[in-house]
Amino acid sequence: MKSARYKLLLLLPAVAVFVLFLVFPILIVLNESFHTFEPGRIGSVEGGPLTLANYAELFQPVYGQYFAQTYVLAICSSAVSIVFAFPIAYCIARAEFAWMQKASISAIVGLMFLSSLVRVYALELTFGSTGVLAPLMSIMDINTNSRLYINFVILAGLLQYCIPMSILILIGAIKNLNPRLTEAALSLGAPALAAHLTVTIPLSIRGIVSAFLVSMTLGVSAFVIPLILGRGRILFISNLIYSRFSEIANYPSGAAISIVMMVLALLLILVMSRLATSLERA
Amino acid sequence: MLSTKERLNAEVTVRTKALVSAKPILSKRRVDSLLTVAVTAIIAVTALFLLFPVVVTVLMAFDARDYIGPFPPTELSTRWFGKLLEDTYIWAGFKTSLLLAAATTAAAAAIGALAALAISWMSPRWRDFVTTMFLSPLVLPGVIIGFGLLMFFAAFNQVPVFLKLFAGHLIITLPFTIRMTLVGLAGISQTLREAALSLGANERQVFFTITLPLAKNGIAAGAIFAFATSMDDVAVSLFMSDFQTYTLPLALTTLIKSSFDLTIAAAAVALMGLTIVLLIVLDRVLGLERAMGHGTNRIR
Repeated sequence: MKSARYKLLLLLPAVAVFVLFLVFPILIVLNESFHTFEPGRIGSVEGGPLTLANYAELFQPVYGQYFAQTYVLAICSSAVSIVFAFPIAYCIARAEFAWMQKASISAIVGLMFLSSLVRVYALELTFGSTGVLAPLMSIMDINTNSRLYINFVILAGLLQYCIPMSILILIGAIKNLNPRLTEAALSLGAPALAAHLTVTIPLSIRGIVSAFLVSMTLGVSAFVIPLILGRGRILFISNLIYSRFSEIANYPSGAAISIVMMVLALLLILVMSRLATSLERA
Repeated sequence: MLSTKERLNAEVTVRTKALVSAKPILSKRRVDSLLTVAVTAIIAVTALFLLFPVVVTVLMAFDARDYIGPFPPTELSTRWFGKLLEDTYIWAGFKTSLLLAAATTAAAAAIGALAALAISWMSPRWRDFVTTMFLSPLVLPGVIIGFGLLMFFAAFNQVPVFLKLFAGHLIITLPFTIRMTLVGLAGISQTLREAALSLGANERQVFFTITLPLAKNGIAAGAIFAFATSMDDVAVSLFMSDFQTYTLPLALTTLIKSSFDLTIAAAAVALMGLTIVLLIVLDRVLGLERAMGHGTNRIR
């Protein structure tokens, strides 16, 4: 019917773009990460000996802090967003009127499409040290310049993305679920909470895991949120990579961090999808 | 299928019976009404959390005062929008962004549609593998893509900044156009094609009169995702731009970090308007629910 050559011809432009602008660059990053850095130079020494020093350096506690910082906040935001998103998604998926469902989904999609800078700026304007809530914070004796507070503002920034996204993913999962199962539990006399805990949630576990995974992926690769809301005092791994490029031009070190970050991100996806499959079988 | 359902039903019955037979600490009605209150509270808190910053930004954009004063503003004016119109720094970024997003969208939609068409003709095993490969930029941190591209372009002499930005944006938008076109193609019933073929149309005629018109909406939805992604990117663009050629998000990032001027709030309100326009178009071409079912992973 369709010849294989014809198919390949259609794929060619996309493959070319991917090889040129994704595969090559990542290979270059990988190569760079094994080279030595000479202060004062941009990029590594060409033809120099290969080294693992850039990776070994990452075992210093300073770097551990950046990774811990990123992962702890990403895990917090993913967990919190699931807890908040699930009941909301359930209400929307089981809404009585079609217009209510349509209106809430439109609002959530609107929030997702809103420029990330608008959202980050809105948070800065609201929760920042000169923001509109600053007087309230000083009444409540909260120091808006403390590290803990900045952590909270970054968490709020991550949640602004993760909650709407988790809601949308969970709506899909809950809609695929047979409502009669929960109804059966209720009609047999189970309290609503118990019915949801033992029936609705276990049956939508795949959706929950995928919402968690997407939130995590978003959290660990977040760039603008910590860049602006972190006020230079709290950096995520992404920001660290950027500063390796912009501040000290230590490309080999930035490359090594990039590779580690990429491997961790892919590992996370692998582990989570395995987890989803095994949970579903259980 | 039926047996699993029955099994589940049986399981539900057993589990609920076990629950009901346990001695209740609180009466069932009490627990249920508590749950309703808790869920209502969660919805209210979340709505407030998600919408309050947006409302603050909109109101502050119309603030008549010179400084960021107590909220809400005492007097309203459109002076910040006037300042926004005169701000050459923001306008230059906006022009670059618009041009870049238009070029990226056109290229990504065309390349993505072709690739999706080829993918849809593959056997299921190949289809899954190739799709996963093409969607991979969605899970890769933007900073890594930007950093890699920076070093890639450093190998060449003097690549124009706009071209570098274009390449970066193409790689992060292609997953959306490929995926949405696949969604559009999957919605086309095979019987339509077969009917046309059996009525004597050739492959080419079937493609241009059946497949393409029906896949059009998926392609358009992908284009909207691509446009929105391109207009919003910071992580990749930051590595590609210089002081002369920069995008709107980069200009705004610099301004947010360096000044407390409410012109940014006015720009934010203008961008909200753009978002609403994009949403209306997306709803028209594909329907929001259908589009979001397949496009939810906007990672950046």
